[in-house]
Amino acid sequence: MKERIKKYVVGFIYRVFNSLRIRSIQFIITVSFTVITTLAILIVGGTLYNKFNRAAEENASLSTTQIIEQVNLNLDDYLTSMVQTSNLLNSSINKNPAVPNDKLLEQMSVILSIKQDIVTAAVFSEDGTLLTGFPNSKLKANIDIEKQEWFHSALYTPGSLFVIPPHVQNLFEGKYDWVVSLSRCITVNKNGQWVRGILLVDLNFKSIEQLCRRVSLGRRGYIYIVDSEGNIVYHPQQQLVYMGLKYENNDEILKHNYGSFLQNYNGEKRLVTIKTVNYTGWKIVGISYMDELIATKKDINSYVWYTVICGIIFIIAIFAFISAKISQPIKELKKSMKLVEEGNFDINIDVKGEDEVVQLSKTFNIMVSKIRELVNQNMLEQEAKRKSELNALQAQINPHFLYNTLDSVVWMAENGKSQDVITMVTALARLFRISISRGKNIISVEQELEHARNYMIIQKIRYKNKFHFEIDAPPEVLGYSTLKLILQPIIENAIYHGIEYMVDEGLIKISVKIEEDKLVYTISDNGLGMKQEVLENILSYESKNIGGSGVGVKNVHERIQLSFGKEYGLKIESELEEGTTVIITIPLIC
Amino acid sequence: MTKKKNLFIFSIILIVIIAVVIPSPNSEIDNRERKKNITLIVKMKGGNYWNTVRLGAEAAAKEYNAGVSFVAADRERDVKEQIKLVEGAIDNKVDAIILAASDYKELSTFVDKANSNNIPVITIDTEVDSKNARSFIGTDNIKAGEKAGEALVSSSGVDCKIAVMSFVKGSKNAEQREKGLNDVILKYPSIKVVAKEYCQSDADTAAALTRKVISEHKDLNAIVALNEVAAIGVSKAIDDMNLEGKVKVVGFDNAPEEIKLLEGGVIQAIVIQNPFSMGYFGVKYAVEAVEGKKIPKSVDTGVKVINKENLYLPDNQKLVFPFIK
Repeated sequence: MKERIKKYVVGFIYRVFNSLRIRSIQFIITVSFTVITTLAILIVGGTLYNKFNRAAEENASLSTTQIIEQVNLNLDDYLTSMVQTSNLLNSSINKNPAVPNDKLLEQMSVILSIKQDIVTAAVFSEDGTLLTGFPNSKLKANIDIEKQEWFHSALYTPGSLFVIPPHVQNLFEGKYDWVVSLSRCITVNKNGQWVRGILLVDLNFKSIEQLCRRVSLGRRGYIYIVDSEGNIVYHPQQQLVYMGLKYENNDEILKHNYGSFLQNYNGEKRLVTIKTVNYTGWKIVGISYMDELIATKKDINSYVWYTVICGIIFIIAIFAFISAKISQPIKELKKSMKLVEEGNFDINIDVKGEDEVVQLSKTFNIMVSKIRELVNQNMLEQEAKRKSELNALQAQINPHFLYNTLDSVVWMAENGKSQDVITMVTALARLFRISISRGKNIISVEQELEHARNYMIIQKIRYKNKFHFEIDAPPEVLGYSTLKLILQPIIENAIYHGIEYMVDEGLIKISVKIEEDKLVYTISDNGLGMKQEVLENILSYESKNIGGSGVGVKNVHERIQLSFGKEYGLKIESELEEGTTVIITIPLIC
Repeated sequence: MTKKKNLFIFSIILIVIIAVVIPSPNSEIDNRERKKNITLIVKMKGGNYWNTVRLGAEAAAKEYNAGVSFVAADRERDVKEQIKLVEGAIDNKVDAIILAASDYKELSTFVDKANSNNIPVITIDTEVDSKNARSFIGTDNIKAGEKAGEALVSSSGVDCKIAVMSFVKGSKNAEQREKGLNDVILKYPSIKVVAKEYCQSDADTAAALTRKVISEHKDLNAIVALNEVAAIGVSKAIDDMNLEGKVKVVGFDNAPEEIKLLEGGVIQAIVIQNPFSMGYFGVKYAVEAVEGKKIPKSVDTGVKVINKENLYLPDNQKLVFPFIK
């Protein structure tokens, strides 16, 4: 098992390295798929990341707004309770005959014992003397009531409620409570006369302070309160603020009544959320730090990145594997083709794999077998060509023909026909020169015609002028090339089978012309002609030469076809008692 | 067949790798966000001053994500108890110690010990005789002494006889405040220091010493009391002797009794410190020291002179009357 895993891992690494070869199928598949999928993953990852971020930001902003709304509600409660207390006391002062009286004092004590947040309720006369108050503490000896803000602002603006921001209430001996004061101008029955007076209700600021302190916006965020002039009413670090060690940009905050904005504070981004409180014009300001959001962002970010990177690694591995799987059979095919290229056709590949590849290998097998066949056929043809050329060679030095000719020469010499001897020997010499023509296979049309003429001169003398001949060749054809010794067997055939047994004088006509870019020889005689069945068989069957030169018409036909192709060759037309015409077609060769 | 098997094995290996790799970032984040554990050791439990320190420390603890535990001896002069607390903090392997030392010299070896245990020590309020304290955050006591001197001059004029009520002889803070005060007095040759006493940070002793000094120097114009306890003792004695206004008092800190006497005209001025800032910056720099950041060697939290006239100004109210839970 261990061995197998090791082998597998090594194989895998090898494949991965293999796939790195640029332009291999494996590489292209791996890279293109990886690029596309990676892009897709990145786009999806980026979109998700942005979405998460936005959601996180929106959540933070929303929760801050909600918290501040809650604080506002609570603050509102405290302040409303203070206003209600003030209203209640005012109406009972109006109903009661004279101040101070026990009933009012009792009422005050009840209210203050129920509402723990109210620390003081007191009524002052116009000149600043304490008429009645609860708790019943001693007023400070040296206090100047008329200079207190809550007193004079209420006195000079009757009918309004005054809320004095948090301050230390310094009216009573030994008490230094932080309070929010509510004062109003009222009418008091003093000794039977209705005079102006001031009603003061103090709300313990500690309740508000604790409310604000408990609130936390994120880990470091906090809330603070400013009044409508930008003075700080409450701040969790107000000692720092007052010592100048911390600064809040209240100018910017005063411009807003409601909503939130981003603020740059000592290089830190903060989300500032503002809400204005009823009665007082105070603004609750919530500060939350963006870097805490960014910490969440970083979490999301790193998570997204890890997922993306893992995904990409996974994908690369998978694609490397898949592409290896796809390209492996193709590589095997390639190996086999290499062998074929080197000349080994005895191959039958058996590649397993995808349908397409199996198909490909099958087709390849078929192709190889076809090539094999063609090669074999080619070899046979070459052999046949060599054989026919050998035959043609034999025709050049046909001993029978030479023997008969020389016999005729001897006979003519004996009879003193010296002129004929000269003619014949000259023709024979020419005949052989062209026949041999330094072993060349291709000669000019002129030479071929010359060969035919010399042959016919010799035969004419031998057959005692039993026939005569005509050669018709326009001068333009003489320069073209032709396969040699194609006319002579045809002429031989015409003499032996057509003319020899004729009663009348024979005629052999040879003409050459160019027709449709082909060179066409026409050899016609006026001999006996052939029977139709002989004519049909003469080119196809292995017909034996009947007393001929040993080189048949068929040999000429085969030589032409082997050399130039099937569309060339011989065509024979013949009619009994009328004669035979043989048409030889060969390509126009310069 | 084998190829399919290979694919299967391959997938399993990959899944295992992914399972190992993916959870790692989360655990890293958890480590980074661990709360720092800081112990704040002050001179005594309770008291206006130390509660305000605590308030500042809590504000900073929230802001800088630190867990701060507050410990102190029952009595301010119980140096042995404080040493035990410091040793306890070292044994608990806290991340940092913030120390308001009860003694300048005796705690120095323990600051060194904490430092050698790789626990940074930030001193607040009172310095310690050790180079290993990373930072001192507190009042510049020489400046505070100078402020007291200036307050004396503005309340009693430049032609007067005065007494100085210090607290503990040899105390670093006392020495520095005396020095600052002397620097001002030396500018005015007509100011004569007729007596200098040490009340050992005990109000009754201070009161007794005040009576003694006044009986010895009938023409005494003013007394400068160099800390909260001394100020309370001195002013109570003067109140009892009905000498308010005749023998003027310049004190330190903002205990409620002092405020009452300030309003009553017994005390003419108090020099108030900023314990909130000490607590706040103590924690802030402790956190930064743990994180390996560079922190300032000393921070002056500032002082302010409060008299009857400016007591109820909005800014001063919030310094003199801190919100205490």
